Amino acid sequence: MLEATNLTKRYGNHTALNQLNLTVEPGEIFALLGQNGAGKTTTINLFLGFIEPSEGMAQINGVSVSENPEEIKQYLAYIPETVMLYSNLTGLENLEYFSSLAGFEYSKTELAELLSTAGLQTQAFDLRLGGYSKGMRQKVGIAIAIAKKAKVLLLDEPTSGLDPKASNEFSTILKSLAARGTAILMATHDIFRAKEVATRIGIMREGCLQSVVRASDISANELEELYLRTV
Amino acid sequence: MNTRLIKIIARQEWAAFFRARLPLGLYAVLLSMSILAIYIGWQYVNNFNEHQTEAKEEVHDHWMKQPDRHPHRVAHYGYLVFREKSPLSFFDFGLDSYVGNSVFLEAHRQNTINMSEAGFSNGMLRFGELSMAVVFQLLVPLFIIFIGFHTIAGLKENGLLKILLCQKATFRDVLLGKAAGITLLTWFLFLPLLFLGLLIGTVSHSAGLSTDELIRMGLIVLSYGIYFLIISMIVVAVSAISTNARNALMALVLIWILFYVMVPKSAQNLGNTIFVAPDKITFEQGIESDIAKVGDSHNPNDPHFSELKESTLKRYGVDSIQALPINYGALVMQEGENISSGIFDKHYNQLIQIYKSQNSIASFLSFIDPFLAIRNISMNLSGTDFESFTEFQKQTERYRFEKTQALNKIHLNQIKFKDDSKQRVNAQSFQQQPEFKFQPVPIKMSLRHGAMGISALFFWVLASFTLLSFISKKRQFQL
Repeated sequence: MLEATNLTKRYGNHTALNQLNLTVEPGEIFALLGQNGAGKTTTINLFLGFIEPSEGMAQINGVSVSENPEEIKQYLAYIPETVMLYSNLTGLENLEYFSSLAGFEYSKTELAELLSTAGLQTQAFDLRLGGYSKGMRQKVGIAIAIAKKAKVLLLDEPTSGLDPKASNEFSTILKSLAARGTAILMATHDIFRAKEVATRIGIMREGCLQSVVRASDISANELEELYLRTV
Repeated sequence: MNTRLIKIIARQEWAAFFRARLPLGLYAVLLSMSILAIYIGWQYVNNFNEHQTEAKEEVHDHWMKQPDRHPHRVAHYGYLVFREKSPLSFFDFGLDSYVGNSVFLEAHRQNTINMSEAGFSNGMLRFGELSMAVVFQLLVPLFIIFIGFHTIAGLKENGLLKILLCQKATFRDVLLGKAAGITLLTWFLFLPLLFLGLLIGTVSHSAGLSTDELIRMGLIVLSYGIYFLIISMIVVAVSAISTNARNALMALVLIWILFYVMVPKSAQNLGNTIFVAPDKITFEQGIESDIAKVGDSHNPNDPHFSELKESTLKRYGVDSIQALPINYGALVMQEGENISSGIFDKHYNQLIQIYKSQNSIASFLSFIDPFLAIRNISMNLSGTDFESFTEFQKQTERYRFEKTQALNKIHLNQIKFKDDSKQRVNAQSFQQQPEFKFQPVPIKMSLRHGAMGISALFFWVLASFTLLSFISKKRQFQL
C-alpha cells in the first residue's frame, strides 16, 4: 500500500533522507522513531507529495507520488502534530467542510456518527473548535480521515503533548483503523506508544533507516535500549 | 481547477469572516467612515452649489443692471463664469479641490484659472481629504489586507494547509478559492454601499438621474469591483509565498505604502521633473511677447495694423478711416482680439500638453501600481479629472471670445468713429447675450481619457491571476 524505494532527499550538501526502503501493508502500523532531524518528517512529506525526491520513489497503492500527486490524494489522510483546523467552526462543521473538500457529502447524522467513531463526546460536536483540547482536535482529525475513507494514514508526532488518557484513546482508534485495513505510517518520539500501537518499528538516524523490528518481537525496555544504541 | 472545491473554500472564507469579531468591528468602522464620507461629499457639493448659484445670480444681476454704455466699456466690465461641479464630484473630489472654480472674462485678456502647482495636484495632498473615493481606494485595500494576510500563511503556520491539500483540492484550488472568497466578501460588503451612496448623492443634487450619470455610476461600481478583485488576489499571493502570517502582514503593509504613498508621489515628482511646466508669469510673458511680434494695435506705425488699415480703406474705396461706413477703431480691436486669442490658444495648448505629459507618467505607472489606475478611472468617471477641468477652460475661452467679438460687432456697427468714446448703445443690445453653460465631458470622451487606466486594471487582473497560478505550481510555497 505504502512503499519507498531508495527514497532520497538532499538539500544542497545535506542529505535529509538517504536511500529509504520501506513498505507498509494494509492493516499495518509502522512507527518511525528517531531524534529531531533524523528524516521522519521528510519521509512523511515525501509521501504527501509536498517535496520532490532527489532520488528514488514513493508510491501509494502502486501510484508514484511525484508523478501523480493529485491521484494519490484519494488514498491518503494526514494528521499533523497539532491539528488546528478552523477554531471558529464547530467540530461538526470542520468535519463537514473537510469531507466536502474530499468529495464526500454526509448528512448531519452521518457526520455525528463519524465523530463518535473517532471517540469525540457528543456534547462537543456543536462546540467551536477554539474551545477543544488537543486530544479532542486530534479526534476530529481522525474523523476527517475516516470520513475520507483513506487507505493510508500518515501521522506526524500525533501523540505529542497529549495526556496519557488521550494518548491511550488515540492508540485505540489507530488500532481500530488498522483493523479496518488502513496502512498507517506514524513518525513519533514516543517509544512506549510506538511499542504499544505499532506492528513494526523503524529507527532512523541522520536520514537512514538503521533498524526495523516487529513490535511483538521486542519488549519496551529492549526497544528503548535499541533506540538509545542506534541514535 | 475544480470549481466545486473553489466554491466550498470561498464559502468557508465567508463563514470565517462573519464569525470573527475583529474583522466585523473593522467593517463597522469602515462603514461609518463611508457614510461620513458620503455626507461630507454631499455637504461639500451642496454648499458649493449654493454659493455658486448666489454668486452667479449676483454677477448676472450686475451685468443686467448696467446702464446704456459704450460696448468697449462693457467688454472691459467683464463677466465672471463659474465652474459647475459634476454630479458625481461628491464621490471623488479629484482635482476639484486644487483647481480654480471661476474665471473672469474680459476683452483682450485670457485670465487663466489656477493652473500651476494645483493643476497637477494629486498624491500626498489627497490624504487630507475624506471622500468616498479615498475610503474605497485607500482604506478598503487595508481592510482586505487585514482580513486576508493570514489566509494561506496562517494555514501554513498551523499545519492546516497540509490537511487541506490532502483532500481533493489542489493548491491552485485553495488559492483561487481564498481569492474568490475574499473578493466576493469585499464586493458584498462594499459594492452595494458604493452604488447606494452614488445613487443617493446624485439624486439629491439633481432633479433626476440621466443615462450618462447612470452609466458612469455603473462603471464606477464595476471598476471598483475589479480593483477589489486585484487587491484580493495580491493579498492571497503574498500570503501564499510568506512562511508565516506575521511576514505576510509586514510584506502587505510595505506593498500598501509602496502603492499608496511612494509610487504616486514618485509619479508626480517624476512628471514635474521630466516635463517642466512654465510658471504663471513666464506663461503670460510668452503670450505678450508673441502678441508684440505679430502686431501692436496701439502703435500707429505697426506694420500689421498699417496693412489692415490700407486693405480696409481699399475694400471700402475710401481714403480715410473717418470716411469708412464702419467704426475702424472697433475693427482694430476685433483684429487685436483675433491675434491675442490665437496666440493664447497656442500657448495654452502647449501648457496643457505639458500637463498631459506629466500626467502620462502616472498613467504609465498604473501598470506597476493598481491604485494609480483606479484613481485615474475614478476621477474620469466622476468628472473631476484634468480633462474635465481643461474642457471648462476651453469652453470659457470660447465663450469669452464670442462675447467680446459680439460686443466688438456692436461697436463696429452702432458706434461712429468720430467721438467714439462719447457714444452709448442701448443696454438691451448686450443684455441679450447668451449665458455661459458648461457642457460636461461626455461619457465616451471620459472613457477615452481613462483608456490607459482601464487597460492597466485589466493588465493587473491578468497579472495577479498569472501570479497565483505560478505560485500554485511551486511546491516550496505549500510547506
